[in-house]
Amino acid sequence: MTKNASPAVASRTRPAARRPGAAAMDAAADTGLAGRAQRFAAEWAPTAGRIMLGLVLAWFGYHELVQPQLWTGYVPVIPATSTFALVLVLVHGWILLMLAVAIVAGVALRLAAAVAALLLAQIVITLTVTGGLTDLTLRDVGVLGLAVCLSGGARQRAALTR
Amino acid sequence: MRIAGETVGARGAALLSVTALVGLFLAAHGWQGRHHGLPPAGLGVTKPSVSAPATPGASSPAPTGSGQPSQTPSASAAPRQGPAAAAAPTPGPKLSSQSYASYSFLVWPGTPSSAAQAAETGLTIGVHRQGTGISVAAGVAGQGAPTARYYPTGTKVYVIEASMGDDSGNSDFNLGDDGLIVTDSQGRILQ
Repeated sequence: MTKNASPAVASRTRPAARRPGAAAMDAAADTGLAGRAQRFAAEWAPTAGRIMLGLVLAWFGYHELVQPQLWTGYVPVIPATSTFALVLVLVHGWILLMLAVAIVAGVALRLAAAVAALLLAQIVITLTVTGGLTDLTLRDVGVLGLAVCLSGGARQRAALTR
Repeated sequence: MRIAGETVGARGAALLSVTALVGLFLAAHGWQGRHHGLPPAGLGVTKPSVSAPATPGASSPAPTGSGQPSQTPSASAAPRQGPAAAAAPTPGPKLSSQSYASYSFLVWPGTPSSAAQAAETGLTIGVHRQGTGISVAAGVAGQGAPTARYYPTGTKVYVIEASMGDDSGNSDFNLGDDGLIVTDSQGRILQ
């Protein structure tokens, strides 16, 4: 039966028959530069992604808080010169700052990343509706993808879990 | 403490609490300084929207073309007749003393730099010689012909763009950081 199974299925059901010397080659790869780099990336890449997403959110959050009048043009539907638009920008900036710190520190990471993904999805949709698909919109799609990825909850280093 | 299935420890809660307070402090700071930004309605912005050129005469496909102030007389750019056109504007503070001075790009006199042309994305700015002075008409592309105003000789026209990152092609996603400044020969703001 297992003879006819595809290699992928076979590898899932039982350990595949390995060629002689495969273990030695794996060991060599593990101890080689590529192996060490792979392990390092697997361990720290989620942390790097977390910090970089947090920096993006912090930058926008900070600037929305200290100069809200420059950001009211992004508020959909509401007139840019209205006080309500200014308040919305301040609230948005405050939420972004909170999410940024939570994500960088790894506090409730999956929840923070999921909320960030929702916020970014709203931004992408709004920009697409108002201006179509542009380079700016697609750049935000990339950031949205990072937030979605982090909401999956990969193991994190340097996270404040206590 | 558990929030939506996630455990938040004491240190995490303390960090988020401090962040919340800092955020409120920054928000209060931003609220107090909300009038210190760009001059309100300097471009006659009536609604927040992406400003894409809607009329053939509003821009040309090439960025260098769309960024150039119009040098040819046109009916829409004719200065408004009446007291507003005749009255001499009162000079305000110097542009160099404003927080947005570093975001200002010279449009007139001379040929606008590439940065100025980029800053004009999504805007229509027309500067015309009018007698001994100039008439300046500025507005948002695709939102109708702007009304021109007359200024005496020696004035300079600057376009303000706090962040170029909101421009894409011929569209400006956020007009909240755009403005137009006219200064007299001493650099004092007239508009």
